[in-house]
Formats: sequence, C-alpha cells, structure tokens
Amino acid sequence: MPDLEFRTAIHDALEAELAADEDVVFFGEDVALPGGVFAVTPGLAERFGAERVFDTPISELALSGAAFGSAVCGLRPVVEIMFGDFLALAMDSLVNQSAKYWFLSNEQASVPLVIRSAVGGRGRFGAIHSQMPITWFLNVPGLKIVCPATPADAKLLLRAAIRDDNPVLFLEHKRLYSIKGPAPAAGEQARIGEARVVRAGSDLTIVTAMRGVHDALDAAETLAGSGVDAEVIDLRTLRPWDRATVLESVRRTNRVLVVEEGPETGGWAGEILAAIAHEALDDLDDAWRLTTPDVPIPYSPPLEDAHYPGPEQIVASVLERLAVA
Amino acid sequence: MSLLASATDVLMPRLSDSMEEGTIVRWLVDDGATVVAGQEIVEIETDKATMVHEAEAAGVLVVVAQEGDTVALGEPIARLAPIGGSNGAAPASGARTPASPVARRIARERGVDLAAVTGSGRGGRITRADVEAAVAPPAPEPVAPPAPPAASAAAPPAAATAAPSQAARAPKGATELFELSRMQKTIARRMAEAKATVPEFTLSRTVAMDAAVTLRTMVGDAPLPSYNDMVVRACGLALRAVPRANGTYRDERFELHERVNVGIAVAADDALLVPTIFDADIRSLGSIARTARRLAARCRDGVVTAAELAGGTFAVSNLGMLGVDRFTAVINPPHAAILAVGALRSQAVVRDGELAVGQTMELTLTCDHRILYGAQAAELLGLIAGHLESPASLLL
Repeated sequence: MPDLEFRTAIHDALEAELAADEDVVFFGEDVALPGGVFAVTPGLAERFGAERVFDTPISELALSGAAFGSAVCGLRPVVEIMFGDFLALAMDSLVNQSAKYWFLSNEQASVPLVIRSAVGGRGRFGAIHSQMPITWFLNVPGLKIVCPATPADAKLLLRAAIRDDNPVLFLEHKRLYSIKGPAPAAGEQARIGEARVVRAGSDLTIVTAMRGVHDALDAAETLAGSGVDAEVIDLRTLRPWDRATVLESVRRTNRVLVVEEGPETGGWAGEILAAIAHEALDDLDDAWRLTTPDVPIPYSPPLEDAHYPGPEQIVASVLERLAVA
Repeated sequence: MSLLASATDVLMPRLSDSMEEGTIVRWLVDDGATVVAGQEIVEIETDKATMVHEAEAAGVLVVVAQEGDTVALGEPIARLAPIGGSNGAAPASGARTPASPVARRIARERGVDLAAVTGSGRGGRITRADVEAAVAPPAPEPVAPPAPPAASAAAPPAAATAAPSQAARAPKGATELFELSRMQKTIARRMAEAKATVPEFTLSRTVAMDAAVTLRTMVGDAPLPSYNDMVVRACGLALRAVPRANGTYRDERFELHERVNVGIAVAADDALLVPTIFDADIRSLGSIARTARRLAARCRDGVVTAAELAGGTFAVSNLGMLGVDRFTAVINPPHAAILAVGALRSQAVVRDGELAVGQTMELTLTCDHRILYGAQAAELLGLIAGHLESPASLLL
C-alpha cells in the first residue's frame, strides 16, 4: 500500500466527509480557489461548488461566528484558521459561544463544528506565525482539541472530528504536512480521546504529541543504545487526554517525561504531570518535562532551532536525569 | 570520634615540581559538606601560582588546615569521612534518606530498611530498582529447590528464572503470560466488585414459548425479531410495572429511573460489551430488533461508542445460542437485576394433565437484595414470562 502524505490525508478526509453529508461545508481564508496556503485543500471548491466550499474575507472572528451560527442552524461547518496564532481573534466565538451553547441552551442544539488550523514552529515563520495554541484552549469545557502526529491518524481523526456533534479544534503541525506514512488500514478507526503507545518500553514513558512524537521516537532509538528502553505515547487528543493509557504506562515504567512544544509555564505538560502526581505518586521514581523556554519564538534560524527540544535534547535530558553514564 | 577514625586524609598535593609547601587560600566548600569525586574543594597558592585542587573521592569534608595556613607537601589539609557516618547520622542535607515515592512504597510493602539500601539515582537517590535489588536473593542457584530463603520478604518470582530446566520440570509446565487489555481489566474489576458488594439472590422460571414461536411465523416478509429481542421487549414492559427493578440501591436510598433502558450482553472479540437499548418499554419490538442488530454489529466492528454503552438500567444476557440451558449472570452494578436467558428447547411438558411436547426456555433473574425483595423479583419474573407466553402483548 503506497504511503500517504499528511496534507493529502487531511484533504482526503475533508473530501470524503463533504461527499458523504451535504450538511458539511468548508470555508476560510484562501482555502477554496487558492487551495490553501499550505496546499492542503485544492480541488474541493471545484468539486463541491461555491455553496459548500468558499473563501471568506480576512476576519477570523467573522468566520468563526459564521461557523457557530450555521452549526446551530443545522450545518456541519469545517473552517480553517490559517495560522493557529490567529485563533486569538476567534476566541470569543469559539470559547464563549460555540463551546458553551449546548450547556447554556439546555441542550437545545449542539454545535458540530470543526476548526482546522496550522500550528507549530521550526518553519521560519517567526514569533506570531509559529505558536502552539493548545494551552489557550486546554481548560475550556465543551471543547475538544485533536492533534494528530501521523497521516493515518490525521485522516481518521479529522473524519471523526467532523462527525462529532461537538466543537473540535483540529490542529495540524505545519512541519508535518510533507511527511509520509502508512495509510489507514481498511476498517481501522481512531477515536477522539484515545492515545496510542507507539513504542513499547520498560524504563521510562515519554508522553508527547505531534512533532514531538517523531522526535521522541528518534530519541528512543538512540537511548536504546545506552541501555534505556523508552516507551513513547502519542496523545493524539489533548482535550480530553487519555489518562488511563498514560497512568497504566507510568505505573509500569515508574518514570515519565512529558515533551511539549510550547512555553513551560502554563503548558499542557504541567497538566499531565499534575494528574500523574495526583493519582500515581506512589508509582513514581521520576517525573519531569521538557518544553520550549518562556520566550517568544525566535526568527533567526539557529536561534529558532535551538528553541525546540529535539531528539538530541531529549536523549541528553533522559541520560542526565536517570544518572546513566 | 568514630567518625574520624574511618576517614581518609586529604594531603597537601604536589601541584608543581619545585613546590615544597602550599598555602590554603580559600575553601570552596563548607566544613561538613558532602563532596563528590572530581569536585573542586580548595584553592592552594604555590611558589608558581594559585591552583585549584579536586577531591579524589566522595565523602564528607572535614577541614583541618584553615585559610591562610601554610602546610608542607604531603601533610593533611583535610579529611574525607564516609557519607552517612558510622553513628547513623544523615548527611548535612537533612534527616530523610533521599528515595523516590515508589521506592518508599515498595520498601514499606516489603519491609526493607531504606538506610540499608544504596541509591543509584541522581544525587544518590534510592529508586525502585535499588529497593527490589535489596529484596531479591543475591544469586540464583540453578539446582536450588523452589523454596525461598528464610530471611526477609516474600519470595520474588525471580527465583523461577534460574534455569530453563527448572521451568520445564515445574508442575504446570511453562507459563505464558498475557497482559490484559484495558477492557479485560475493567471487566475483571467490575465483576469482582459486583460479587463483593452486591447481596445477590436468584430466581428461575421456565417459560412456555409455544405462542412466541408461532408469533414469529406470522410476521410475513418483515425482518424477524429474535427470541432475545422479544425478551428485551418483555423486560421493558415488565420493568414499567415494577419500578424498583428499574432502579439502583445507593447509600441507603433507592434511585428509581424514569427511562427503561435494557442493556444486551454482546460477545465481541474476547471481550464482553453491554450496549443499551434505550426506552425498551416504549419502542416497538421491530425497533428493538433493528437497534439490537445494529448495536451488536457495532460492537463486533469495534466502533461502539461510550454513549451507546452507558445509561442502562437493567441487562439481559443470552447464552441460548451456545447451547446453555440455564445460567446465573453477574449483576452489572449499579443495576438492580440482570436476566439470564437459556436455549429454546423442545421438552416434555404437562398440559391439562397430559404429557405433551412444548417449546420451553429458562429465565434466571439475579437480583440485588438491597433494593429488590423476593416477592417483587418473583412478580417481575412472572410479568416477563407472562408477556412471552402471551406474545401479542409485545406488539402493543
């Protein structure tokens, strides 16, 4: 079976859902006729027409508001916010309206919308086009946050997100768009809220997501050479995150390292470590996190590369922390 | 003092070829501090220059020569005492032996004294592996009998890894270990919880199914409901009349549920799932049949959702298709009861004082005695049987 490119996985999932359900619509800035600034969505406007796939003016709040309104009136909108950094402009619509409508309306209408957005750094896009906005939304009840790391998961989870009757923030790491991986097997499913153990191990659990999964797997290969057998968990969904899988792993390995692309303070790594300390303190030999520093993302290439905890930093941190020579 | 008696001397080092004495300029660590091998501890001025000297081993530093003192080559300037000290006093850092939470728990569980364990973690911390190494027997002896050493804690299973021949001679042969899936662990836990906490009693009843068998031949081309679908519908109607059977006992209260939601046990891929048929008292038999088919397929395909598995107020489990005549199901907490259904059989029956051949099916109801008493349970079972024996009532 030929490998699937991440951007193609997104495209194909969106196309399949547009074809399967005529209530699904897709709009955003430069997504329809230009096909998306990361070339993810070409051809959809041509196939489904301007009534269902269209470009919007440059106003994230307007297009999020339109998504909310159309969702409560019966459509299943998928909108694209071009860069995750711009989600700040859509926050009132997403946080105060979409995430809470089911609750505030006493369950009169759910809000089945999906917001897709390109996030993440190391792309030379600078401080306000490279952020990872997961933690801006991590504590909003009513919102789901999905963060795939592989093309197969991107395809399956985007379809699941569009079929979900709740608002889902679907984040795509812009540096993963060109990676290739196996396509999903026939009949394979992925559920929102389920993590996956992508490498089994016995000495240490590394919990991470998106680009971090690939870095952690590279680090695990290197660590195996030093006699450290690392288990790597791909969270796949950040809200709700799969506590059961993480706790089961930590209870076995007794050590957990959370690798997060994002500033340390207030990051989701802290949330995971807090839950582990809360529920599994007596199973811990060690628990720590590796994140980016509390500074804006640099634009200069060597500074930007040094900003992120890549495979070498993960290996060095693990060896130092485990006191392995 | 016994502390000093076991210490090693730190002598004025030869820092240059022509040096005969050195002057202590500055101690870089405090008197009594714990140092590690290679750590810089003192600045010494020689005839050539001021140089830094490192500790050659780990230990607790006891200063002998003070700052400003001039000491001849080879004379002691300090001593290094062993960490921990022979009087049992902890290093200056504090009274608690550094050990991780899991190391402490295992030490507590196995009765290991942490003071006797050497830590291999960062900064000398005691880890789980260190405690377990202190518990396990020192070296496995290939021909040793499986009895554990008399000394401390429980015999660790590591004794079995001694030699392959020993495993092959073991009475049960080689053991293959399977880790449970999350679902299997949940099932194990919930079944044990039910048996431990719920005071169960069971009632059985044999139902005459002749009329039900006949009814199923009369639906024409419509999709045929199964006998289990009919049982689910009968339960739905009966539970309406016995609200306590559609409830939960919790904290000295009965919680009676408005909706009648019957879970059906589905075997899927070495797992047991119980999806819910909501409103079994209101839905038609046909709707129940369609829903049951759909849910069973979703279970087998592994796509059933949490919402579809939740919300049940009662459950039905059927092993009739596997040839079982009768069995006792385990209550699914927090339900009040569960109905176990056996196979449809042709049996000798007594009708109007004469022997005849009848179609029968056994129902066994397991009940939580905290909410359902014998009479109500019998009433429920009687109503279910009554509906099945007058099956046109299932169509209303």
